[in-house]
Amino acid sequence: MEQHEISEKIREYIKAASFSSIDNLDDDLLIFKEGILDSMGLISLFSFLEENFSIQITDADLVEENFESIKAITNFVSERQK
Amino acid sequence: MNAKKEKFHKHILEIKDVAKTCDHISGQLKEIVFKNLSRRGAVIGISGGIDSSVSLALTVNALGAENVLGLMLPEKDSSPESLDLAQKLADKFGIRTQIEDISGALNGFGCYTRRDEAIRRVFEEYDPTVYKMKIGIKQNPLKHSLPPAFSVTIVDPEGNEKSKLLPVKEYLQIVAASNFKQRSRMTMLYYHAEKNYYAVIGTPNKHEVQQGFFVKHGDGGADVMPIASLYKTQVYQLARHLGIPEEIIKRTPTSDTYSAEQTQEEFFFQLPFELMDLIWYGWENGYDAGEVASALGKPEEEIRNVYKNFHRKKETTAYLRKQPVVIQPD
Repeated sequence: MEQHEISEKIREYIKAASFSSIDNLDDDLLIFKEGILDSMGLISLFSFLEENFSIQITDADLVEENFESIKAITNFVSERQK
Repeated sequence: MNAKKEKFHKHILEIKDVAKTCDHISGQLKEIVFKNLSRRGAVIGISGGIDSSVSLALTVNALGAENVLGLMLPEKDSSPESLDLAQKLADKFGIRTQIEDISGALNGFGCYTRRDEAIRRVFEEYDPTVYKMKIGIKQNPLKHSLPPAFSVTIVDPEGNEKSKLLPVKEYLQIVAASNFKQRSRMTMLYYHAEKNYYAVIGTPNKHEVQQGFFVKHGDGGADVMPIASLYKTQVYQLARHLGIPEEIIKRTPTSDTYSAEQTQEEFFFQLPFELMDLIWYGWENGYDAGEVASALGKPEEEIRNVYKNFHRKKETTAYLRKQPVVIQPD
């Protein structure tokens, strides 16, 4: 899957999963710092990524660099799929 | 108003006159139980932990030992130490006690089977008759600001541990099943309270209430909560003044909910309580993260991360502190 397809899928998921109404969900927006997703949103996101991109997420992956934005998540998923 | 605010320092939470604080709480308790609630006494669940011990001592001072019933509510995953320490506490304060083992009720609810079914979806080999288990948060809140995520750990009979991040469905099922424990305890406390025309004393401290480390209609179900506005370090100050047995004061606070041993820090709080107390005080009272960081000798970024973590926990657990919402007629 191409990077832009991955990021679009993630963007759609986050829009649907968030309780806040977001018009523009930029690739660089810090989704946890800005409160777009909360802790339940984070673990639901993990399940979404594992089921849709056939990857495994472990405790060691739980750093901001991997999940802070759509761009970071897309890079993380792409790396894992290689 | 800010000009009058005390400069932040490491001892800012220290209670200056502990005897006065104890007398104030006990005075209020007496008034609330005997007058506001019109009950003849109180029932309290005692676990051998610091919070229930201090709550018990304050209740005895308020109502008299003859009007207090201590309930021990073990189940099959409870540490036997909890029962021994609770009995020691009860003996020291001269109250009546009763042991109610809730394992049978929990079996009836399917607490263990529902929980174990979810764990086996993560670890096929998990056999609850020989394995132990726990769930907890592994992230360090000082180092980053991602929301917390729970992992499940299983321990085989040889003591080898295996841990995995919990998928959302399994996480929710394990928590929902485990919460039968606190809710069964609450039901039993109210049985004894109603039988004796007593009130139920709740034992959470400030962090448990504010950060949502309690079960709605479980340990959060009570008539009065004497220490719910006290920080954990203050609870220890009161414990020493009230003569709580030393073994209880020295015991590391545990969750005593899962079969594998686990501290409260490991399960939920992620920070030692001495540090957590001070940062929470700083956050709640609007102290700048930089001022708190310099008083505690920590990088400012770490304090900012913990502030965010507190803010998030308080927001996401607001639902737990809410009373049923009554819809008004139009």
